[in-house]
Amino acid sequence: MIALQDVSVRYRLIRERRRTFQAHVIAYIKGRRIEKETLWALRHISLDLRKGEAIGIIGPNGAGKSTLLKVISGVIKPAEGTVIANGKIAPLIELAAGFDDELTGRENIFLNASILGFSRKQIEDRVSSIVAFSELTDFIDTPLKHYSSGMVARLAFSVATEANPDTLIIDEVLAVGDVRFKQKSKERISEFKDRGVTILFVSHDMEQIRNLCDKVLWLDHGKVKMLGEPSQVTEAYLSSSS
Amino acid sequence: MVNSLEEAREIFRYRELLRNLVSRDIKTRYKRSALGFLWVMLDPLLMLLIFYVIFAGLFGKSVGKYSAYVMTGIIMWQFFSQGTKVASLAFIKNRNLINKIYLPKAIFPLSVVASSLVHFIFSLVPLFIIILSSGAGLSLNLVMLPYVVSMVFIFSLGIALTVSTLAVFFHDITYIYDVLLMGWMYLSAIFYPVSILPPHLQFLMAFNPLYHYISLFRGSLYDTSQFTMEHIILGSVFALLSFFIGWMIYFRNRDSLLFYL
Repeated sequence: MIALQDVSVRYRLIRERRRTFQAHVIAYIKGRRIEKETLWALRHISLDLRKGEAIGIIGPNGAGKSTLLKVISGVIKPAEGTVIANGKIAPLIELAAGFDDELTGRENIFLNASILGFSRKQIEDRVSSIVAFSELTDFIDTPLKHYSSGMVARLAFSVATEANPDTLIIDEVLAVGDVRFKQKSKERISEFKDRGVTILFVSHDMEQIRNLCDKVLWLDHGKVKMLGEPSQVTEAYLSSSS
Repeated sequence: MVNSLEEAREIFRYRELLRNLVSRDIKTRYKRSALGFLWVMLDPLLMLLIFYVIFAGLFGKSVGKYSAYVMTGIIMWQFFSQGTKVASLAFIKNRNLINKIYLPKAIFPLSVVASSLVHFIFSLVPLFIIILSSGAGLSLNLVMLPYVVSMVFIFSLGIALTVSTLAVFFHDITYIYDVLLMGWMYLSAIFYPVSILPPHLQFLMAFNPLYHYISLFRGSLYDTSQFTMEHIILGSVFALLSFFIGWMIYFRNRDSLLFYL
């Protein structure tokens, strides 16, 4: 179950980002104070998701979609409001962020799974099914730098989805690997849905959203513009942007 | 306080990640070099050679077992300085992960100091060779070595947390810290005896934690006269103080780090 109550996230935009002492000193001599501008990346968001529900999140760039996912997965603490997210959350957000080129596929499985918070035992139990799903058995002891980008993505997808999560967070990464693997990963995600895994799905592909989601949230400038039936919301969104 | 404990528990929950980060560091650091992991041992030996050639004539007479004296200094100094120097970039270098996935962030500076500890342990091999070949016997104080090493580890972790957190807000910190380390090295009696310093500077050495740690290190290996209560007490106080300050700085800023990375 996921419940957000009146959640707001604030980014402090410093107009000139002064990262060095030199810049600070110069600004001080000139008598300028740091101008801080606040940007509300999310404003008063309330949202309830039941177990097994799939929600699509749409909106233009900079609407706060990724920020919303980060708040739910605990990366960002909201400035206001409360977030309740029970159970294990697996983020499929730019999957390969935790990989190391110099390590082999197998070593990377251990590294990436421990980034997701797994214990050694849990990882050892899953290694063989991760390798099998990724179809990389022949390359698993090869350093990652010799992999193609599609192979890296396949491995990352396999690690994250083997997590057996209660909630799956997907940020536009369904387009993984070749046509066949894409199909396979879509099937795996539908299986998750059937098993009662809650899914949060950010995408610009309205077709995918309609296929997968039970409801859709349309964000604009950090606020909820519309929340409801997938067909209604996606239609309204498409007609507003055209 | 309660929250601090919770954060500590989270770090413990991610111990497998800590292990993987350390083993990745060990595996990849020397992967592209021909001699590989041997460099962990060659590096202090080559430094010893340089110091020996330059300074043995100058200090060799007033310091007994000069090569053992310098080697202990180098290895203890590198344990501290390498760990904290690399750790200063711990958050900045891992910004990709910190930005995308929830993690107890302190795991990054912690893993850097931990892998410095692993290097330290391997470099004990050439150290023992040097000590034994210089004719000094190993002392029974050796049983205290784990305590001494823990002190340095905790001290380094405190500095690592401080520097890595501050470096996110002010990138200059990493450069300032580099320069600071260089001066600090010359002040830590690595290749000269403290007795050559003027009296007022000798007194100030009491405020240099590394001086205590290096002395205790020598004291627990071969020169028992350096294993004093004063070094143990001051060394422990500095370790706790450093850890407490570092943890507070990290803990208070851990949620806002993200917005500056």
